[in-house]
Parts: sequence; structure tokens; C-alpha cells
Amino acid sequence: MNPILVLGAGPAGLSAAAEIAELGAPTILVEREAYLGGNPKRWHYSLLAPDLRPSDEILGPLIAKVEGNPRVELHRSTTVTKAERLPKGFRVTLKTGDALETQEVSAVVLATGFDHFDSRRKFEYGYGRYPDVLDFKELEGMIHDDRVLRPSDGKPPRRIAWILCVGSRDLQVGNPWCCRMGCAVSIKQAVEIRQKHPEIDAYVYYMDIRTYGLWEDLYWKSMQEYGVKFIRGRIGQVTIAEGGSQLLATGEDTILRRPTEVPFDMIVLASGMEPGTGTQEAAALFGVPVGPEGFLTPNLSDMNPVDSGLPGVFLAGAATGPKAIPDSVTEGMGAALRAYQYARN
Amino acid sequence: MPIVEKSLVTVDRSDRLEMEGIDVSGDWNTFLRSRVQTDLDVRILDWVRSQPQGDTISRCWQCGTCTAGCCLHTDYGLNEFNPRYFIYLAQVGYEEELRKYATTIWRCVSCNKCVERCPKGVKVEEVIHTIGSYLEFTGGAPESPADRFDRAYTENLLRRGVLDEASLFRTYERLEGRTMPAGEMLKMGFQLLRSGRLRTGPLAHRTRGWRQFGNVLREKLKEDERRRRASLSAAGGRGGHSP
Repeated sequence: MNPILVLGAGPAGLSAAAEIAELGAPTILVEREAYLGGNPKRWHYSLLAPDLRPSDEILGPLIAKVEGNPRVELHRSTTVTKAERLPKGFRVTLKTGDALETQEVSAVVLATGFDHFDSRRKFEYGYGRYPDVLDFKELEGMIHDDRVLRPSDGKPPRRIAWILCVGSRDLQVGNPWCCRMGCAVSIKQAVEIRQKHPEIDAYVYYMDIRTYGLWEDLYWKSMQEYGVKFIRGRIGQVTIAEGGSQLLATGEDTILRRPTEVPFDMIVLASGMEPGTGTQEAAALFGVPVGPEGFLTPNLSDMNPVDSGLPGVFLAGAATGPKAIPDSVTEGMGAALRAYQYARN
Repeated sequence: MPIVEKSLVTVDRSDRLEMEGIDVSGDWNTFLRSRVQTDLDVRILDWVRSQPQGDTISRCWQCGTCTAGCCLHTDYGLNEFNPRYFIYLAQVGYEEELRKYATTIWRCVSCNKCVERCPKGVKVEEVIHTIGSYLEFTGGAPESPADRFDRAYTENLLRRGVLDEASLFRTYERLEGRTMPAGEMLKMGFQLLRSGRLRTGPLAHRTRGWRQFGNVLREKLKEDERRRRASLSAAGGRGGHSP
């Protein structure tokens, strides 16, 4: 049997590669970056919602299953530049630096993931102009290192606001979908900060809170146990407050039905999920249809969410839409099984 | 009836417009600026949360189940009694707005329907009263006749351990700055005396051992007051965040 190609070494790809190897088939795992672990590693995610477990505790074992596995051939800093369809599978060209290598594979799992929305595109919030307006993925790193300080003057903030749905549910930036993670991750960050620094006041500006399913518990706890405060309304713009040292968030408190202009020391943007560059490239390479949002479209998203509908091409993780790590891991397992079944016959 | 501030109206129109008998002809030449909330004050919420009866306040997510079932709000049509709104004002620390309801808040009849129905387990009735206490302790509400009566009542009771209705009546009348005509007072007093419902002067009841017990009670009240002040100043010490 020719090896099965897994594209992308985030949670979904790692899980797929590990399971294919477990089934006894040879696997080629290709990752664009020099490290394994995808976005969670790239942005040094701290604790993961909803159980507040360190991300390394979840990614570590996944990576360990793949690294040093004799059935997994690892290609870091590598991209696929060409894919030709064979009667069964593909002939793919792998590019590492300047070196090109051709391999024949019997099936492909696309686990090419998402990119965080570039918050500079939501220019009203001043991200990229005001140093104390952060993207929440940057705050992850700060919390991870326990150095939550204002980038402008290095002082600890007294009051932080989170703005949800930045680059999500927003026609102005062309992203009408929900990122599914923003609520939970922002609330989790507020909880982490309140745990370590109860003197910092945490406010979340929201339209709806979508901590779906059992994640609701995190939301409830954040209010009751950690005193995180929620204000309903979408912030319209962020400017510099009088005096120059604080940020001014202008919005409407839709419960008070009153405009609010409140100063904050730090403003954190919950940037949404967009189809990753790798996902767009993979769609073109393997001819997988994409939906209006740009994510890969499974053939039958309800019955068989990991099948692309094209022979030998399987999908897993956030390449098909915003997804949490546990869901991505599960889809990696499903895609592994489906790819193995296809390759074996 | 509309409020018309003539200085805000330019009268350069010939059309005559009258509303409820008031001349409102002309064009409005100004907009009233909307009130902007410019700060979030954590003091009220912190204090309410720190109280044993108030700690469930931060669970509230403003669904309105409490207000929907509130007998004052719905059955009695007291629209301004809105427990959900009181909680929100306390949560975001909008004290100025909250103070408007400093007396309304005490009209709760403690039917506890809100507590029974709250999906998040907020003890709404207790929380509302804790918010009311905060407003009262921080001296916001203008003293109402009921407040003055309460004060007179407590002082009267502390004197002998039992009410002296005649002196309570006199004190309260004095606090309200009015006096009942002597004839009527005599008539009412005589009726009450005859029916045995009023005992005053040498006939007054006494509580045995009151001197000792009263001292303990006074001490306890003082202690409560001290504790209350301490908790308020602790909450106040955290302060706002104005730059």
C-alpha cells in the first residue's frame, strides 16, 4: 500500500497521522511550519477551554505519538506544490526549502486548518495602531508567561475589556459566520487573569454568549466565582482617552439603552477564524469545493463530515469550518479511518 | 403634558400647533444630548457580592424572568419596580441612576416568586434588599415619612423595651412638623385608654431587667453599625478607575 498523506500537523492532522499509523499503514505528515502543533503551538495557547488544562498536556501526547513513530514520515517546513491524480491516489510534489521530492500516495487527509482573523482589518478598533489593543491570541502568550502588562508602558492593567466577534458575524469584513471559540476563550482568559490578579477588573462586551453545550459551565463560573462582568453591546470604536494613557471604548449598553464611553487600560479583541492559507491552497490543489465562506465543503456534512466526495480525499478539523480542539481530534480519527478504508481496498 | 422650553424653539413658522392646550409652534433648534455612561464603578457590586445575602448578584445574566413574574411590576403595574434593572445598575455601577430607585426598591413584598423562577439561582429578593441597604447606608435616599417613623419607633422601643404609643405619636408628629388639634388628640387618647390599647405615664408597661438587656441591644446595634461602616469603607477604598 502506498502511504497516506496527511496535510497539516495541527490537532486534527496529528490525530489523523497517529491513527493511520496505529491502523498499520505508512503515513506521510507534511507541515508548512518548522514545528508541530498548528495554531495552538504557534500562538502559545495557555490553558484550553473549557477544562482549563494546559495546551501542552493535550498537544504533547499527540505530538509524541507521531514523532519517532516508525510508520510516520515527518516533513517539517514543507509544502505540497503539485498533485496529480492517479488511478488510485495521487502523485504529489513536496517542497522543503529548495528541495523537491515526488511521492505516490494512496489517499490524502486535508487538515490544513484556519488562520486567526487579522484584526487590523477591523480598523475601528485601532489594532496595530494602539499598542494596548491586543489580539486575544497575543494575550494567550502573555498569560502563558504570566506577564500581563500593557505593551505601551509595561505597567499592569487595572481594567481590561474583551470585545467579542471581531472579524466574526460581521458582513463588513465579509465574515458572517460565528467562530465558536471566541466567547469561551475570552471568558477563559478573563478567568485566568482574575485567578492570578483579582485586582484587575474584567469586562466582556458581547452580543450573545455562545459557550455552547457543556462549556456553559465556564461562563457561569466566570460570573459567580471570578466576578467577570458582562456588558451587552458591540463596541463601535476604540480611541485614546483624554490624558492619553488609556483607551476609550465607545459603544452602546443595550440594556441601559445608553451610550457608553468607558476608559480601559487594555482592550482584547476576540479575533475570529478564517480558512487558513494552507486550506485555500489545498482546495485548489486537490479540487475540493469550497463554500461561500472559503472553508472546504464536505460532501455530506451531516452524515459524513470527513469525506470530500472526491475519491481518496478526506477532510478533518478547522479546514471545514471553525472547530474546537476536541472536535478536530475526533475528526482526525474519523478521517484516518475513512482514508485507511479507501487506501486498503 | 409636553414640556416646552421656549428658548429651544425658533418661532419662524406661521403654522400654529397646539398640544393639550399648549402652544408648541415652531421648529426645535436643538437636540438634547444623551446621557453617556463614562465609567464603570465596581464598588456597589463588590460590596453587594461581599454580603452573605448578596453574593449571588454576579450570576445574573439579565434574562428578565424575575421582572416578568414580579407582582409589583406586573400585577400592580409599578413599572419602575424592575428587579432585573436594579441588578444591572448595581453590576455596572451606575449609582446615579440606581439612586432614583432608592425608595422604590423597598416596596418589594418578598413574595419570592423571582427567587423560585430564576434560572441562574440568583436570590433576587435578597440581592435587591442588599442593593437597597447599600443605597441607604451610603446615605443616598432622602428620608421618607416611613423612615422617620422607623427611627422614632426604634428610639421609643429602646427606652423601656416596650412601646409607649403616646410618646411615639408625639415624637413622630414633631418629626413631621405638624400637630394634631388638642381636642382630637384628647378624644382619640381617651378612646384608646378606655379600650386598654394605650398605656402611658404611670400605667405604661415595663420590661423586667430592661436596663441590662437594653444595654446589650444598644451595644449590638452599635457593633452592627461599626461593621457596616467598615465593609463600606473597604469597598470604597478600592475606588473607581478614573484616570
